[in-house]
This record gives sequence, structure tokens and C-alpha cells, in this order.
Amino acid sequence: MRLFQRTIRDLHQMLIDREISSVELTESVMDQIQNVGDRTKAYLLVTNELALRQARAADDRLRSKRDVRPLTGIPIALKDVLCVKDVASTAGSKILKGFTPPYSATVVERLEAEGAVFLGKTNCDEFAMGSSNENSGYWPVHNPWALDRVPGGSSGGSAAAVASGEAICALGSDTGGSIRQPAALTGIVGFKPTYGRVSRYGLIAFASSLDQIGPMTRDVADSAVLLQAIAGHDPRDSTSSSNPVPDYLASLREGVKGMRLGVPKEYFVAGMEPAVEQSIRDAIRLLEQQGAAIEEVSLPHSDVALPAYYIIAPAEASSNLARYDGTRYGFQAGGGHNLIEEYMATRQQGFGAEVKRRIMLGTYALSSGYYDAYYLQAQKVRTLIIEDFQQAFTKVDALLGATSPTVAFPLGAKTQDPVAMYLNDIITIPANLGNVCGISVPCGLADGLPIGLQVIAPGFREDTALRVAYAFETATEFHKASSPLMGAAA
Amino acid sequence: MSVATRYEVVVGLEVHAQVLTESKMFCGCSTDYLTAPPNANTCPVCLGLPGSLPVINRRAVEATIRTALALNCEIPEFSKFDRKNYFYPDLPKGYQISQYDLPFSRHGHLDFDVKGEPHRCGITRVHLEEDTGKLLHEGAIHESQASLVNFNRAGVPLMEIVSEPDLRSADEAREYVMRLRAILQYIGVNNGDMESGQLRCDANVSLRPAGQSELGTKVEIKNMNSFRAIHRAIEYEVERQTEVLDGGGRLTQETRGWNDARGLTISQRTKEFAEDYRYFPEPDLPPLDVSRMWVDEIRASLPELPAARRERFITTYGLTPYDASLLTSTRPMAQFFEETVRLGAPAKTSANWILGDFSRLLNADLREIQDASVKPAHLQELIALIDSGVISGKMAKQTFEAMYRASDPAPALAEAKGLSQISGDAELAGLVDQVIAENAKSVADFKAGKAQALKFLIGQAMKLSKGRANPQRLDALLREKIS
Amino acid sequence: MPEPESELSSREVEHVARLARLGITPEEVLRYRDQLRNILHHIEALNRADTSKVPATAHPLAERNVMREDRREQCLPAEAALRNAPSREGAYFKVKAIQE
Repeated sequence: MRLFQRTIRDLHQMLIDREISSVELTESVMDQIQNVGDRTKAYLLVTNELALRQARAADDRLRSKRDVRPLTGIPIALKDVLCVKDVASTAGSKILKGFTPPYSATVVERLEAEGAVFLGKTNCDEFAMGSSNENSGYWPVHNPWALDRVPGGSSGGSAAAVASGEAICALGSDTGGSIRQPAALTGIVGFKPTYGRVSRYGLIAFASSLDQIGPMTRDVADSAVLLQAIAGHDPRDSTSSSNPVPDYLASLREGVKGMRLGVPKEYFVAGMEPAVEQSIRDAIRLLEQQGAAIEEVSLPHSDVALPAYYIIAPAEASSNLARYDGTRYGFQAGGGHNLIEEYMATRQQGFGAEVKRRIMLGTYALSSGYYDAYYLQAQKVRTLIIEDFQQAFTKVDALLGATSPTVAFPLGAKTQDPVAMYLNDIITIPANLGNVCGISVPCGLADGLPIGLQVIAPGFREDTALRVAYAFETATEFHKASSPLMGAAA
Repeated sequence: MSVATRYEVVVGLEVHAQVLTESKMFCGCSTDYLTAPPNANTCPVCLGLPGSLPVINRRAVEATIRTALALNCEIPEFSKFDRKNYFYPDLPKGYQISQYDLPFSRHGHLDFDVKGEPHRCGITRVHLEEDTGKLLHEGAIHESQASLVNFNRAGVPLMEIVSEPDLRSADEAREYVMRLRAILQYIGVNNGDMESGQLRCDANVSLRPAGQSELGTKVEIKNMNSFRAIHRAIEYEVERQTEVLDGGGRLTQETRGWNDARGLTISQRTKEFAEDYRYFPEPDLPPLDVSRMWVDEIRASLPELPAARRERFITTYGLTPYDASLLTSTRPMAQFFEETVRLGAPAKTSANWILGDFSRLLNADLREIQDASVKPAHLQELIALIDSGVISGKMAKQTFEAMYRASDPAPALAEAKGLSQISGDAELAGLVDQVIAENAKSVADFKAGKAQALKFLIGQAMKLSKGRANPQRLDALLREKIS
Repeated sequence: MPEPESELSSREVEHVARLARLGITPEEVLRYRDQLRNILHHIEALNRADTSKVPATAHPLAERNVMREDRREQCLPAEAALRNAPSREGAYFKVKAIQE
């Protein structure tokens, strides 16, 4: 087995046993990036020098056995919405071309303290808006399982990198499914923590009340390790929770025996591919065999989650993206006669179509005369969705469903119809609105394309989500399947 | 009919007051923007860099609640911040974090006097927001091709105090602002500096025919940087609006800038399209529960406010309402007075000195009482010297001026003590003889019963002694000698 | 909710684009108008929900009164602040004049 194919936990053991060095490991991954990178296009920027510098520092720590932590020496990819000091960050947009943040995100600082190694910034849909990574202002990402297909989005680059061996693990961000859906489409584990569990300071904002940073890994235990490193209160993020962070590995192996697992009937949506549905039902049955009590539940407002999301998220985004005006950083169109012309030209040329659509939608929803009908109404629907989950969780410990209604679709298949693209997130969006956490684990293949099982747990019960996901994973072999690129020879 | 009777003037004022905090509203940058080099007091938050997030400055919130309490406002139990969305180069995020429908306070009032007559103006609300950066125009504003932006001021905490349209004249408006400023200084939330923009005032002025309840067209006036400017601008605007209405014309609802040099308001070009601020609750900041306990703590920390202090000065020190008002017009002056009295000086005399000679000198220098070299102890000693007869009132005035001008008043005081009045009979005898010898007619007049003549003789003796002779002794000695 | 008859107009699209300072060609106005109409149709489903008895959730978390002490912290040196400026003059950001 090649080093870049291994998990965090395996590699950690090999590093502390001094079987390998972090430099060796990093070079192994960097070789793989060289090997398959031009096929996946997962990265926008590979930071070779930084990575090797950090790998050498990690080796020092490992050698002297000083302050060695679970992620010391482990190469990780960071979605390009995360600010790393003095490293270019584009959020997948041309409007931030050339921008180099003078500061690092809190999660980045925490990873640095761990001694992790930063491989580079991964490609994503522009400002995290999209479900296929085709909205990247630079180039689309290709699914390592089938290069003519999308990896999902918006964290498509991070997903593809982990699935192709171009990173051992990655951080993504999830606003409406952007970690979970690409994880499902690329056969990896993607976890959206509860809103407020992980600091958003330094995350280039899309929708302030929905965005969360989360781990994208090869298996569930790795997910727990990475989440452990980044979770926790941050005084620089007023929306970060002061709920204590438990030991996520502690309850991982408890199994599902005696647990009650709910299956929301609304999650078997129209348009779900039969193979996906079958795979999910098989997964549910498996968990039942493992000792869980399965019952059907209802989340009656599921059908209004998508509409509510497509008001709230664009509304917040329209405001968050107002700062991109070409005056303090990023792209400036130049050539305008006055300031307003400058703003208009810069934002016209710098933003892609999807971003412009959402900015206009959001602006409209907040504008005079429409606020009550749209934004306020959506925020009230949000309350109903939160209550749906609260109700369900009085009866069950966790919920099961598909992550995505389809497997990876071909590049270009849904780019003509925005709404068709939005429907990819129909089963992931409720968890963002609902103050809960959700994880996607591989649960099968359909025609060689991965399917993901989604486990949703109550707010700040990431331990529950991990436990159920782990129980499923260990009873199956799906997580061991590798994309063709992973096994590709140099 | 005069303007005053044909039309009713309706004025509402919007005052923006920066809060005196160490750090900015949502980040730890220094608020010391007036002297700092451009863009030296900035960080990812106040520059609006991608990924940055705001964190509320507790002291700014407490200052706002203090202000609201001092203005007799209601403090609701729940409050939040909202985003006000618009584009301008001095607004780094493309939105200002402000308060919209649930501000920290509302429904208060401010009492003030105009020429001794009491007035009350309603306060609609006091809320908290962040200030913007500053724009410099390259070259003359009308010709400039570019603007330069300095974000040092961006993010400084700013209170917005909105009055009801209860003011009825330029006089009332000026007095309102003066009283408001005094209160803000009293409670230590703002330093009252209008020139540097730390305290700003905009006015909404309209006229309506006397007797009409409906408000007339409102015109907003900006760029008034002093009490005088506020007064002049409102007076000008009232005249301008009167002319338009009298001429049968209609007023445009617009914003006009006061041009102090030319003494008029000028219409600021109306924007091509209406701005729509699209307010919505700030998602990056949890809302606030303003508990009654917290409010009580803040209330307890308030110093005695001008109105209460004024009353106390009247009852405790027996001062006239007029004197009491003037003495309490600023906290430093009130404190100076009380300290002087505490050290033993009589209240009335102290008041006279502070409001008389001292104020005259301070005003001529545009200096504040706390910045003068003369301290309460100095004044108290001077007064004691007069009372004990060591120096005359006239000498004291000269001494005080010398004390004021010196960086250390002590030597002038000491000199005054040394240069005591001539009270000794032996010394005065010579003077008396000289005066009698030189003014035979007055001596004869006094002998003939003209009391006035004695006063004249005393005056002459005072002149000869350069004011140092003790007038009472002169009186006695002259009477003795002449009779 | 606005009636279905009052569909999003081109004028509204232009207005919204202006509010958002997005330059937009006439061709784009029509294209975005149609796409946004389609999206708004789907969003109309929002009306199906009975929201008469619930408050709006503006802030998902239970936290309240999150504040910091009034203390000066290290800020960026001016050069770091200006480093990304597309246009500058000395220690200032430079922008085209606003036409007042």
C-alpha cells in the first residue's frame, strides 16, 4: 500500500514508530498530486515549499518526541475558502485573484499547532456556491471515480483530493451540503458539525448563519481525529459555541445496539436514483441487524427547506459579498469614469453567473417591500425545521437517509438549469437549517460510482453521528474501495 | 405677520457621538485615529477582509445604556444589531453594523433652558453602531479624480441620538445640543469635540403653517461643525424655506450641506436612484438580553447629572439658578467650584470669581477650566487673602490674572501676600497729609458737609499708593485729620 | 407573498443589479430575469408552511451577550493592511472619485 493511500491513524502510528518521516509521507502525497493532479484539477494552489518546511518541523517534533499530536506530520488539503497567512486565497473566484490574507483562520492556526502539513488550497465552487464544483472561477474538478463526472460541490476539490490520494485528509465547508454531498459522490467520509461547533473566523463567508467547516477523510475514525483538532469555542467568532468539546474517539466503538434510528420518510425524494435508494435501504437494514431499532419518522417541513435555504443563504451572501468592490484587495476592473462604474465593472467581471444570480436573489429578498414575504418568512420556516428535528429526536437518537439523491452526474449535465442543480442538496440542506450535525459515509457503488449514507444527529451530538457512522463502516467494506486514480500507477 | 406666527418651525436633531473607548466597536484596534498615521490602526475586522468577524465591545454597549439612562430613556430587555447595506469607499464591508428595529433604548427626553425658560425635547432613540473610515479628496473636491481612504476611524463605536421633532427654533436647537454635549461629557462617554467630528450633528428642518398638525417637507441639513453653525444653519434654512413657501413654491425633500464660509445651505445632488438599506439582523452577532440587574449596575455608576447638580448648588450653596446653571454647564467647572468651597472659600465669592474673571480669561484663550494652571487651592487662597484684608479686591484681580498667565500660580500668590495693603497708620499718615495738602477745595467741601468730597480724597490717596492703601483706614484717618 | 401575476420584471432585475453594484448587459438582464423567475417559482413553496405561530430564527444558537473587554490588541502594520490594495497612494487606499 502506498503511503498516500493510508489513513491518518495508520500514518500517525507509522510516524511515531519512526517507520516513516513526515517528509517522506509529504513527498509521497506530492508525487501523487504530480501524477494525477492534471486529471482531477483538485488543487488551485499546491504549496510545496510550505509543506516541506512544515514536514521538516514535524519530523523534529517526532524525533524529539516533543509535543506530538494526532495530526503531527500529516499532510492535509485546505479548501480555498480558508485563509492561510501569506498564502493566496481565492474562494474559487476571479474577484480574489492575487489576494493574500495577512492572517490565518482559527482552524488553520489550530492545525499549525498540531504540526499538520499544508499541501495547498483546493478548488471549490465560487464562494462555496454550487453542488458540482463547476462554478469555480478557475476550472472544474473531475471526479477520481470517473473523470467525465463531477465530484460534487462546493468542496469538490477537497473531496477529489482525498479520494485520489492527493491528500490524506482535507477541510471543507458546508452551508447546504457542500461537505457531505461531494463526500458521497467521491466515496469518502464528510462531516458537517453543528453550526457553532467550529470557528468561522478566517472562513471566507458565504452564508453567516449556515456556514460550517468540517473534516473530509478516508474513514470515520479519521473524521473524529480531525474534528477533535478544530472544534471548540473561539473568542474571535461570536457565533462559536461554548459547549464543551467531548473526546470524539471515546464513544466511537460503542456500536448501535439499543439505539433508536429514525428514517425520515420525506428523504426518499422524487428523482432519487433507484440504485441510491436501494443502497440506503440496505444500509438501514444492516444497522438494524447490528442491533438498532429502526422506525419511520416524519420531518413534515422538509419540502420547504430548499426554498427557505434559497432565500436565507443568498440574502446573507448578497451582504457578505458586498465587500468585493476592488478597492482594498482582489481584482479591480479599472477603466471606469467614476467609482460607481468601477464597482459595476469589477463585480460584473469578477463574479461568475451563479454568484451573480444568488446576489441578485438575495438582494431582492431583502429589498424594501419583499423582506417580510421572503426573508422573514424563510426565517420562520427555519424555526419549523428546527422544531421538526427536535420533535424527531425525542423519539430517536439519530436519523438515516441518503446524502445525495443521485450518484455523480456528468460534467455539464446540470449547468443549464440552476434549479436542477439546487435539487442536489435537497436532503442535505435541512441539517444546515436545523441546528443539527450530519455525516456522510460510503455505503455502496452504482455502476462504479459511490453512494453516501447520511447520519444526522442532534445539535452538539457529533459523538452520536460518529458512533453510528463508525458502526456502519466497520460492518462493511465500502470505505476500503478506492477510486481508480488512487490505485493508478505513476 | 412675522415668520414666527405664520409658520411653525419644526426641528429634529440627529447627533452622532463617538464613544470614548480604548478599542473599536468590533475589534481590538486603537480608537486613537486623530493622530495615528494613515491605516496604522487597522486589522482584518475593521478592514473588512474576507473571513473576518466582529466581536462586540462591552464598554461601548454600557456607554450607550448610560447615555440612554441620562436621557431618561426606556431600556428594553432585548436588543440586537442589524446590517445596513450600502456601497461607499469608506465602508469596508459594504454594510455598516448598526441597529434598526430593536435599539438599546427609546422614548426619553432632555430638559434644557432657553433664556431661562425651561424646555423639554423628546428623544426617540439612542442606538449603537460603527463609524466609517475617512475620505480625503485629491485636489479640490470638484475637480478631483480620486479619493484617498484611511480606515483608522472605521469601526470606532458611535452612538446615534435621535430627537423627536420637538424643537421650534434655532435657539432651542443650539441649547439642546449644548445641554446634550454637557451630559455626554459629564457621564464620560464623549469628549464633546465637534471640530474634530467626535460629536456630529445633523438637523431635520421643516415648516408648517401655524395651526397645522401635519408636518411640512423635511430637509436634512449636514456639515454643521459648531453650536454657532447649527444656529446659523437653521436660521438660514428657516428663512430659505419661508421664502419658497411664501412664493407659492414647493420644497423638495432633500439633503443640504451647510457652507459656513458662504453662510448658506447647498443642495447635495440627489442620488440617481434611491438607496434601500435592506436591513436584516446581523447574523455574526448573537443578540443581547439587557437584564434589569445590568441596567441597575450601570445606573449606579452614573455620576450626578447636570440637572440634579444644579438643584443641589441652588439649595446647598444658596446660588442663583442662573449662576448654578453656568457653574454646572461642564463637569470640570462644577468640580472646580465644589473643591474650592470644600477647601474653605465662601460659595458666593467662589462663584463670582469662576464665572467672572476666570471665565473671561478662559474664554479669551478658548481654554477649558481643567487645563488652566490655577487650581482650586490657588483660588481659595486668593479669596482668603482678600477676606483677611491682606490685599484689596482690585489687587486681587491683578494677582489672579498673573496667576492665570503663569504656568505656576504659586509665585504670583506669594508676591501678593508680600505686597500687602498699607494699613499701618504711620505709613498712611504721610499719604493723608499729602492728599490734604494737594486737595484744599475738597477738604473745604467735606468740612462744609459734602460727604462725596471724602470719597474723592480717599480715591486720590488710593491713586497715590497705587491701590495698596487700605481704604477703611484712610477713611478714618482723613476724618480725624480734617475735623 | 407577491401574486404570481406580478412576475419579476426586467426593471426589477435592473434595480436589484444596481443596488448590488453588478454591471449587467441588456442581454443578461433578460437571461437572469428568466432564471430568477424560475427560482422564485420554486421558492413560492415557502407559502405552504403555516408560520403564523412561530418566531423567526435569526440566530440559531442559544448564546446571548457575547462581548469582549475594551482592550487594545495588536493590529496590522499599515503595510500589511495595504499589501493587497489594487490602487494606493502612500499609506492610503486610492479609489476613483465619487461623483456627488
